[in-house]
Amino acid sequence: MANAKKSHALPEGGQWPDAIAFWAVLAGAVLTTIGFLMAFLYAGPVNGASVDGMPEMIGGQMVSSKLLLSQKIFYFHMPVAIVSFGALAFAGYYSVRFLMTKNQRYDTCAKVAMEISLIFVVCTMITGDLWTRFEWGVWWTWDPRLTTYLILMLIIIAYFVLRGFIDEPERRSIYSAVVSIIALVDVPICLMITRMIPSSIHPVVLREGGMTGDMGMTVGVCMIGMILLGFGMYRLRFRQVRLAQRVQALKDELEEN
Amino acid sequence: MNPVLAEIYSTILPSAPFIIAAYALMWLVLLIYVVMVVRGLKKTEAQMSILEEQVAELRAQKH
Amino acid sequence: MSVVLKTPSTFQQYKTLLRKDLEQEFRTKEMITSMGIYALLVLVVFGAALGQTTQALDLLQVSGGLLWTLIVFTSLLGLNRSFNHEKEQGCLEGILLVPLDRSVIFLAKATSNILFLLAVEVITVPLFYFFFLTAVTPGESFWLLVLPLLVGTIGMAGIGTLLSTITVNTRGKDVMLAVLFVPIIFPLLFACASATTAIIVGAEGAMDVFYPALLLAAGYDVIMLLLSWVLYDFVISA
Repeated sequence: MANAKKSHALPEGGQWPDAIAFWAVLAGAVLTTIGFLMAFLYAGPVNGASVDGMPEMIGGQMVSSKLLLSQKIFYFHMPVAIVSFGALAFAGYYSVRFLMTKNQRYDTCAKVAMEISLIFVVCTMITGDLWTRFEWGVWWTWDPRLTTYLILMLIIIAYFVLRGFIDEPERRSIYSAVVSIIALVDVPICLMITRMIPSSIHPVVLREGGMTGDMGMTVGVCMIGMILLGFGMYRLRFRQVRLAQRVQALKDELEEN
Repeated sequence: MNPVLAEIYSTILPSAPFIIAAYALMWLVLLIYVVMVVRGLKKTEAQMSILEEQVAELRAQKH
Repeated sequence: MSVVLKTPSTFQQYKTLLRKDLEQEFRTKEMITSMGIYALLVLVVFGAALGQTTQALDLLQVSGGLLWTLIVFTSLLGLNRSFNHEKEQGCLEGILLVPLDRSVIFLAKATSNILFLLAVEVITVPLFYFFFLTAVTPGESFWLLVLPLLVGTIGMAGIGTLLSTITVNTRGKDVMLAVLFVPIIFPLLFACASATTAIIVGAEGAMDVFYPALLLAAGYDVIMLLLSWVLYDFVISA
């Protein structure tokens, strides 16, 4: 998202991304609304309903016969999940930059990206869990993806708890950078391990059994909307944090005089 | 109507609350965050302007 | 006559640091005693929690998980302590004054943590067997248990060394270590618990779960140890 400039300039509030940040949020809101409407009005109401009269496509498998209205959650669930992981990746990138340069600005970037990641992870958990509740009839199951996102959420929360527990800014930024890099490496491993260990207890649900054109279109619109939203939110928050830091610095200076 | 389709359509009503809840909660979370950030931004900007005034006053006193 | 100054090799530095930890432990027996008693107490808690379980099959299926619960909690305790006395007596500052490669400190510390954990496991796993598995019949290849135990211990001690170095400098050390440690080692825990359960139950096709799980756990170990090794320099210098 906020990888606006890889040049030498430090990310700072008021640079060109801020000019479009507001519009990005607005466009994201509009696009996700369109995506929402498309999900219910444009995309095929039933996955496979167009093959009316060929019941073996629908029946036979309990799972596919329920890919129905509840499947509409998917149109927002997947983009939100991808944005959350993208934000985590940016947090990791900025953490590496921080460890290389020891410049506090990158620490601020990483922190804000982590925050965005947390917000989107929470959204992913909400949408995913409600889907689980209807499809599988349980509030929680240790399914690989659910588990991975729970772990991701816990690590991000731990990241913020850690920040709260350290007073020295230097040390806080180094430690949190290390933790966010570990998180970035740990999460894919978690998904891989929970997925690859064969287990007969959990149901295997084929969710993405191929998307039709209208479904792909809807997901695409939601995806672009969510990315814009995430980017805009990141810039807004970043500007606020930077401004707060400058206010603090100014206050300290005034007190000294 | 195709019996299978009929069965499929019969799941629309029970699933509706979950879908509505999912979308509503997600929208709420995002909205709350954006509102909080915008409010924070407004507050910090106000603080900044107050501080700038103070600095200007101090400058005027010194001269 | 000239004085010959020889810089000790990296391996010598490593040995010295490791010996320091082990000697301190032999003198005080602090870690082993506290971890051992703690593990025993956790076992007692399990006894109370499982008091109503009568069916042998149930016990077999949960015992793998219980064993790992025991190990995670005991290693949390041990990892917390391992840096505490370094900090209390200003030992860490002394070590950092010595011109040595910082990752040597990581390796030495991780090794001593692995050794302590293994020592505790040598006591607690037989106890666990005695209390919970004598009434039931675990699978034939039960002895393979040592493999996931070893892999799990290495991974936990490795990443735990890094995390406890971080948390020893924060307020609320004990809580902070648990908050970071448990989610981060979750994949390893999951893999090891799967492998352990598979061989304890010993059902048909157990090996189809055991080896992939063990391999994945080993992969986690390699990646995480390398990562901790790289990142340790930043953490210890902070």
